[in-house]
Amino acid sequence: MIRFEQIEIGYSKPLILIPSLTLDAGKVYALVGRNGIGKSTFLNSIIGQIPLLSGNLFLNEQAVQNILKIELPKVIAYVESRFDGVEYLSVFDYLAFGRSPYTNNFGSLSSDDIQVIQEVVKDLNIAHLLEKCTSEISDGERQLCAVARALIQTTPIILLDEPTAFLDYLNRQKLVQLLVLIAEKQHKTIILSSHDIDICIENSLEFLIVSEKKILKTKVSDKQIVIKEMEKD
Amino acid sequence: MTNKRIPFILVCSLLLVPLSAFIHLSTGEITVSLSDFFSAFFDFNADNSTHILIREFKFPRIFMAILAGGGLALSGMLLQTLFNNPLAGPYVLGINSGASLIVALTLMSGFEFFGTDIGLIGSALIGAFLAGIIMMAVAHRIRSQISLLLVGLMFGSFTSALVSILESISGAESLKAFTLWSMGSLQQVEFSQLPLIGFVFICGVILSFFLIKPLNMLVIGERSAGLLGLKISQVRFLIMGITSLLAGLITAYCGPIAFVGLAVPNLTRILLRTQNHRWLILGNLFFGAIFLLLCDSIIQLFSKQIALPINAFTSIIGAPFVVFILMRKLK
Repeated sequence: MIRFEQIEIGYSKPLILIPSLTLDAGKVYALVGRNGIGKSTFLNSIIGQIPLLSGNLFLNEQAVQNILKIELPKVIAYVESRFDGVEYLSVFDYLAFGRSPYTNNFGSLSSDDIQVIQEVVKDLNIAHLLEKCTSEISDGERQLCAVARALIQTTPIILLDEPTAFLDYLNRQKLVQLLVLIAEKQHKTIILSSHDIDICIENSLEFLIVSEKKILKTKVSDKQIVIKEMEKD
Repeated sequence: MTNKRIPFILVCSLLLVPLSAFIHLSTGEITVSLSDFFSAFFDFNADNSTHILIREFKFPRIFMAILAGGGLALSGMLLQTLFNNPLAGPYVLGINSGASLIVALTLMSGFEFFGTDIGLIGSALIGAFLAGIIMMAVAHRIRSQISLLLVGLMFGSFTSALVSILESISGAESLKAFTLWSMGSLQQVEFSQLPLIGFVFICGVILSFFLIKPLNMLVIGERSAGLLGLKISQVRFLIMGITSLLAGLITAYCGPIAFVGLAVPNLTRILLRTQNHRWLILGNLFFGAIFLLLCDSIIQLFSKQIALPINAFTSIIGAPFVVFILMRKLK
């Protein structure tokens, strides 16, 4: 769960004001809005990359200023819009990074860590990729691995920055459906930013529509309503 | 998930180190038998000229080839991971040049202290570290991998120009000391200096083993690593510190040696096919040592005809290899 109280987000000038907003566990929220309206700023503020200008942010009932920086990766996992892969970095080693908030100084995996990885690998059906190199698999497979890495972090909250941007239609569908399933089954709060309104409506995600200085949380089934809201000044 | 292939290659390369040392031993102007070599240590006779030759010339040269090769390769690997750039290295980023500049400054200042071991290591280390800090600040502003390289080369030219100015205004005595140093050679170290050099080297190697986890994480980029809880600024400082320690130490005693720190880490990654630094650190130490031992063996082979500086020879092999990497990476 994420709760916003009287929050101002932005760099020096406030870009978005959020008087009160609660995002529940078990749901996937679609963050939409025009380019440059502040979607990334919003996500970056939640993960602590941009300090809040004012207000209180609660992650799972815990005030964010009370969470140690080193503990934050155990609460929030973040998936970047694009992971290009690294030469000679195997998928397994990449997935294992998801355990790094929990491992010792040498990064050695315990049997519990391995078990977490194996469960996620089974759930996402990516066992055949483990030995492969992250630079040699397809974009869709790579995005799936990035989501798997975030799940392996076993956090109550997952944020994804345009995870579908580089995927084809089928892979987009698959990814969004998977996220909905995970959110329900594992009771996670998931936010994904996207320009793909159709897919978000098809999967009946709840919308977070960013327009000039505000965020509207709404459930819609008509694309035109979302577009109208996005156009507001 | 353990891969048998990597430990196998590493064990083989570890065994190749003494073999390369043996090749090095048998290519010198005066060939030394293996039994002479061991008796020089375990059954030393001060009147035996072969024993003295081994202790004062042969062994320090082999020792320094192993240390310089391994150390430069390791510091190159650290820099490549830190900057996320396969073209980084202590030489191209001007780490050596920084060390040279400060050594030149201190040697020519005429203070007795800077002629000593501690003074020399100290000034090379400070110079290397300062250059590293400058390059880190630059890297923060430019994202392009090639641009960083160009800035490093410019920095190198700038410092060598400063060194030339210093040379032209300094006295004969200090000029001689500096010129000898800047020629770069594996033969400038005496037997009695080896423990101190070995100690500093071991410290650098042990410290880098403590950075395995951060190094592994840095492979996916600073931002992603930071979001997984890596303390970026602390890690940056530590990596830069170890790099300066190793590259500074080696530059202090062997002068500038080019391309080992750039070529060997890439070669190691290609051979081991991994991004796990637990293996890469070992691989770089072994491959670096073998590379420099063999380069120096070839130099010894031709020493009767021409006196090749080690720096020239590593460049002859290293530069084409770097061009090969460039063509592979930046198609």
